[in-house]
Order: sequence, then C-alpha cells, then structure tokens
Amino acid sequence: MNKLKNFRRKISMTCTVIAIFSQYSCTNKINPSQNIIIASSGKIESIDPARVSTLKSYQLLNALGDTLYELNNKGELIPRLADSKPIISEDKLKISIKLKKNILFHDGTPFDSSSMKFTIERFQNIGTLNYILNKKIKSIETPTKELLIINLNNPSSSIEGLLTSINLTPISPTFYKDHFDKFLNNNFIGTGKYKLKRFSNEIQTLSPNKSYWGNKTKNNGINFVGYNNSSSLYGAFISKQVDVLLSNSIEDTLSNSLNLLSQKKDIKENKSAPIEISFISLRTNKIPLNNIDIRLAIAKSLNRELIRNKVSFSLRNSATSLIPLIFKKENSVSWPDFDPKESKRIFKEQGYCNGNIFNLPLTYRSNVPTDKLIAFYWQQSVKAEMKDCFSISLNGVESTTIYKNLSEGIYPSVILDWTGAYSDPEAYLSPLLSCEKFIGNNCLKGESVFSGSFWASEKVEKLFKESENVEGVERLNKLLEIEKIASKSLPYVPIWASSQKAWAQKYISKPVFNGAGIINMSELVRNEK
Amino acid sequence: MKSNLKNVFNYTLIKISLIPLNLWIISSLIFILLRIAPGDPIDAILGSGADQEAREFMRSKLGLNQSIHIQYINYLKNLINFNLGDSLSNQEPVIQIIRNALPATIELGLFSILIAIFIGFPLGYMGLKSKNKKYDYISRIIGISSYAIPPFWGAMMMQLIFSVILRVLPIGGRFPIAGNPNSITGFFILDSILKNDFNAFQGAVYHLALPSFTLGFLLSGIFSRSLRLNLEKSYKSDYVDAATCRGINEKNILLNYAFPNALIPIFTITGFALASLAGGALLIEVTFSWPGLALKLQEAILQRDYNLVQGIVIVTSIIIISINLLIDIMIAFFDPRIKY
Repeated sequence: MNKLKNFRRKISMTCTVIAIFSQYSCTNKINPSQNIIIASSGKIESIDPARVSTLKSYQLLNALGDTLYELNNKGELIPRLADSKPIISEDKLKISIKLKKNILFHDGTPFDSSSMKFTIERFQNIGTLNYILNKKIKSIETPTKELLIINLNNPSSSIEGLLTSINLTPISPTFYKDHFDKFLNNNFIGTGKYKLKRFSNEIQTLSPNKSYWGNKTKNNGINFVGYNNSSSLYGAFISKQVDVLLSNSIEDTLSNSLNLLSQKKDIKENKSAPIEISFISLRTNKIPLNNIDIRLAIAKSLNRELIRNKVSFSLRNSATSLIPLIFKKENSVSWPDFDPKESKRIFKEQGYCNGNIFNLPLTYRSNVPTDKLIAFYWQQSVKAEMKDCFSISLNGVESTTIYKNLSEGIYPSVILDWTGAYSDPEAYLSPLLSCEKFIGNNCLKGESVFSGSFWASEKVEKLFKESENVEGVERLNKLLEIEKIASKSLPYVPIWASSQKAWAQKYISKPVFNGAGIINMSELVRNEK
Repeated sequence: MKSNLKNVFNYTLIKISLIPLNLWIISSLIFILLRIAPGDPIDAILGSGADQEAREFMRSKLGLNQSIHIQYINYLKNLINFNLGDSLSNQEPVIQIIRNALPATIELGLFSILIAIFIGFPLGYMGLKSKNKKYDYISRIIGISSYAIPPFWGAMMMQLIFSVILRVLPIGGRFPIAGNPNSITGFFILDSILKNDFNAFQGAVYHLALPSFTLGFLLSGIFSRSLRLNLEKSYKSDYVDAATCRGINEKNILLNYAFPNALIPIFTITGFALASLAGGALLIEVTFSWPGLALKLQEAILQRDYNLVQGIVIVTSIIIISINLLIDIMIAFFDPRIKY
C-alpha cells in the first residue's frame, strides 16, 4: 500500500515538473511583444557614443541614432542628418555642413548645429578613440541652427569619412548636460529610428521611435542579446531562441555549418563587404627581416588559398592588399602571390637551404582560434613545400600581451587584424604605415611602431601629406600609391579580408548591411512562421 | 560548555582581528601580480591603433603614469576608506559593478550547493547501504563522473540536450530576453517572490535550472563520496554499536547517531565548496552566459582592468574568509570535542 502511495507521489511530482517545464517552454516561444531577437557575442558595456569601440555596440548605436553621413553598400557617402554633401573651402581648412530641419531627439529637444557641436566637442574631450579626431579639428562654429562649420588645423581629406563615424552620433545636449566630461554608459538619447527601452550589459530592448523624421521601422522593436561563446550563439539560433544571429566572432566551423543551412534554404544568410583585414606584421628593423628579399621569400611562401579553404572553409576572401576593395573599387595593387619555387630560390640566393634552414618565429593571438589555425596551416604548408629552406616556429600569446609588446619589437612576425576606425582607405593605411620619426626605413616613433613593423618610408610620408590636400580620384590614387610601395617593401603580408555575416530564421526577412558592416535593424520583418 | 563558548569567542576575535592583515597581504599580492603580468590596460582600452600621444593622455587620465609606489599608496589609502576605485575600462565605480554581479554568483552558488547535496547525499547513502552491489556501482560511477567530466563539456552537453534538442530550457542568460526583471535585491528569484510575480519567478528559475544543475552535478561527487566514507566510519563506531544493542531501530540510528556525526567533516567540505563558488564557477558562467562575478573577473583580466580585478579579488577574499570563519564557529558549536 505504502509502495503504491510512494509511486503515486513520484508520478504526480514528475507530472507537475513536466507540466511546469512544458508551460514555460511554450510561453517562452511566444514572444508577446513580437520584437525581433538579435543575438551577438559578448556584452555591451556602454552605449555612450564617446566610449563605444566594438562592432556590436556600433550596431546598436546605429539603430538608436543617426550620423551626419553614412556609407551605403557601394561605398558612397549618403547624407543622413546632413542635408547635403559637405562643402569644403578652397584652402581646405573649413568644412560647411548643412543640417536637416525639424529633427527631434528622443527626449523631444530639437537637433541642430549646437547639438552637433556639443557631440563633437564631448567626443574630443572624453572619447576613447578621440585621437582619430583631435589633431584634425581646430574649432567648430554654429552660425545658424542649420549650419555647422568645422575648422581644421590642416587640410584633411579623410574628414568626410570621419563624419560617418558612429562615435559622432549626435546626442541631446539637454539630456547629457551632466555628462559632458564623463560617460553615460547605460542610457542613450539620440535621433534614431529606435528608442532605448531597457539596457543591461547582456540584453538591450529597443522600441520604435514614433516621431522619427525618416522612414519608420518595419518591426515592433528589437531585443539585442549577447552570449559569451560561439556554441551558445549557434545553439540559441538553431533552437530558434533567437531570430537573427550576427557573426562578429562566431567560429568558422559553426559559420560553415550555418552557411550549409542557408544553402539548403533552411535559414537566410547575408554578408557585408569585407572590411576586416588579417595580416602578418614583419619586424623590419632587425636582422634577418630587415632584408627585403627575405621578406619577399616569406610573402611568397604564404599559401592563402590553402589557409582560406582549410581554416575558413572558403567563407573568407584571400586578401592581397591592405585596403578593402569596397574603398578602392578595383584591386590595382597586389602583394606577391604564393610561389614556393620562387621563395626557395630567394632563400637559396640569400645563403639559406642545403642544411641552413631559415627559421621564422611566428607569434599568434592564442585567444583567437582562427589565428592559431592560420599559423598552423602556414607552418605545415611550408614544411611540405620547402622544409630544406624555411621553417616556422609557433608561439601563442594572449592578445593584450601582444598589443603591449608590439611596440617593443619583441615579435619578429605576428598575426594581427585591423578594421578601420572610419570608412576610408586612409583608416587602413595610416595606422599601419605612417611614421612620425624615422631614419632611413626604420621607424623610431609612429603608428608603424605600434603595429610591430617598424617600417618607414620618406616617400610614403610625403604621399600621406599630399593626399590631405586633394580629393576624390586624385586622393585615392595617392593612397593606392602608398599601398603599392608597401606591397613592394612588405612590412606586412595580408592574409584575408573578412565580412560581417548575419543569419536570419526563415520567417525573418534577409538582413541587409551598409558599407560599414552594420545591419539595418529597422528593415527586419517577421513573416508568418 | 561555557568555557568552550569562551574559547570559541576568543578564537573568533583572533580570526577577525587577523582579517585586515589577510586582506592587506592579498591586496598587495594582487596589486603586484597585476603590474608584473604582461599587457597594458591602455592597449585594451584604445586598441593597438592609438598613437603615443593618445596613449600617454589616457595613461595620465587613469593615473597609470604615476610611479608604482605612489599608485600602491593611493590604492591602500582608498582601500582603508572602503573605496575600490573606478573601473579603468568603463569608469563606473568598481563596487557598483560587483554589487550588480555578486547576486547572480550567490544565487547560482547556493542553488548549485543545494542540488549537489540533493544528488550527493542520497547517492552516498545508497552506495553504502548496498555495498558492492548494483546501486553502489551506480553511485560510484556517478560520483567519479562528476569529478572527471570537464565543466565546459558537461555544460555544453546540457545545453545541447535541454536547449537545442529538447528545447525545454534556455541556452543561457539569467532572465527571459523579452522580460524585465525590475530587480530589488539583485536576486531575481527572491525579487519575484517579493513582488509576487509568478512569470518573473518562472523565468528566473528556468534560466537558473541548467547552470545550477550542471554545477550541482559536478559538485555532487564530493558530497556523495564524503558522506559515504564518513557514514561508514560512523557506523563502525562504538556509539552506533551501543545504540544497536539497545534495540534502537535503523532509521533512528541513521538520523540521530550516524548522520549527525558524519556531517561534521561535510560541513568543512561545504565551506570549501561555497568558498570556491564565491569567486564564481568560471566555466559555467562563461558557457551559460551567466552574468556573475567570475565572468566579470575574466573580462577584467582580459582588459587589464586593474581596479576591477583588485576589487573582485578583495571582495571574494572577504567572502571566503567569512565563510571559513563561520564554518569554524559552527563546527565548534556542533562538535564539543573540538577545542580552540
């Protein structure tokens, strides 16, 4: 009798547990707000435009605010809060920007030239990345509410690209008056299509801004959620706990699996133009890598196609230039291609091979899985093709340590990546190639020191200066000339260019990227499941 | 009994008076270790593209341009005033960041310990009662598996089974994506009870279920093995023999004689387990995107956020020291044989 009672008790407890589970799992699947859930990796620590520096926070800010200009997916400058393209004075020291009228911030205050001035000055004052702007801007004038004049210290043709920067998303001076000199990490008042409804580091909820000046959002709102690892992101997407997945750091194996699902039409996939460049930085100020022929032999030993196929499952594009294609339209500059025979010939010419093997210590970021695989496949490819001449020894170091040690010249060669701080070819060349103080080809002080190459060229510095005084095609040609010099001198060897990717469930519209690798959240629509 | 109480009181006073010394040693060690460790918070904040001028400006803004001994003196001064400083990366007060993350870790830790006890004790008892029989082997296998399974793998398997295949539990996070916890205390389950909000309670419990069960299972082996060993020892002791001779039934012997005595060493183990969880179960928090202290610590280390790392280590140390002290006092109360 007792046994029967116990059995009944157990059965009823099990049923209760199952009932609660099933009730929750059902209610959880119903998204009462019908918001679109977008998942990305990691957390968003801040929503302050002066502080943000990660793609996922740019993504969020792009939905909450508007910039003066935006790059479309063809790389063209499109006015958003600006009424027309900037007018540059003859001496190229004054930029006049006419602003749109009747635009309101989320707190109901009007957007005008003084709010834009407040935003830029605040960024100059406390912005984490303010170094990209500070030396360029001398002062800002606001002669009328619709006219903003930026006075420059020196002619700067990259200023147009800078005006697309999400870090300069205008904010309401009224709301931020107590935060001119400090960050406001958990709230945002801008002019964008969405208003920030809720902010935590892990989840952000956006609701449509009903008084938006432009096209309204096509959905009822967005929930933006962060998971800490690739497998959670993948699992959440596959189990339909999220509607859209952004790939800023999903592992390539999972990316490949999602790609296969999209080929089967089970999900939708889209990608941005490739804007992140992975490359090998070679320390050119010390022997043996101060020898340009050795650098050429190394560059010719890199089998990009093998690495692309094996590591990224052909999902990334091999790169033979430092500037992403979207910013230069055609690939007129090219780094040396893979040619093991030629590489061996050069090594032989330099006194290596036949028992004297050239060894390259290659450092990679141990916390970046693809870097490790790139290093491993290059090492093995070299071993297979030219083991009597060239070998690679691997050294994994955590990324923050690498960044600290780069300028101290500790690493002969290191795998790094770079995404320009703003949408302009200069944002890819200057941080890698410019140098303030140099002797011959050795940089003593400047950007190339911080990129670990220590390479400098008088001609490159001259071209950088010249490029500031010209515009359009002429400017692009100057920058391409810089890239061409770099492709001959080989302080860096590009590996591949990566796109941002987004996957959406079948019942969600296909995500669309702009030229800066940001998806337009307001265009996402939920169809019938 | 009275003299033992006095001894316990004296022992507690000595232990409490040593806390500042312990904390000074820990805080100094962490200060030194962070400065010795390679990497620079400036690189973590600005990235590798910033120029020298921007780096120097940021360094002076954060006070990192001062000599190490001045930084150390300022750090100690702040500590004495209970000021843990501001996070280097986001400029928020460290104490605020810890206050936000600590309830998540405590909630996870407490539920995990409860689950570990809930799984471990019956397994340990079952194993002992059917020594060298089927149940004993099952208990041993489960106990050993809980030690042997790598936490990240166990966590991923749980995610795969319950979230991806069965789709009954969320894959990560602490609260439903569409919900709003409207927290009062930071303990979401407690908050939902206080606000009488059943939906919030459900949401919080279902998000807690997978991480706490995984962690609880991984800890259960310690409880099952130690209960089994200590219970076996108790059953072999004279007082159990005497009780058996007096004709006391098996249930009473277990509950009134063997079990209470077997529990004393387990108190110590529970203390260690709680102390280890006070700093958070890193891999579980990372895998389940659980926004606790361990996850914050990991991020702070990666960003070389000296102030935040120091703050978390100090707060964790205070918790560990307090738990150990509490366990010592409890043992002294429960076991009169223990003298201080």
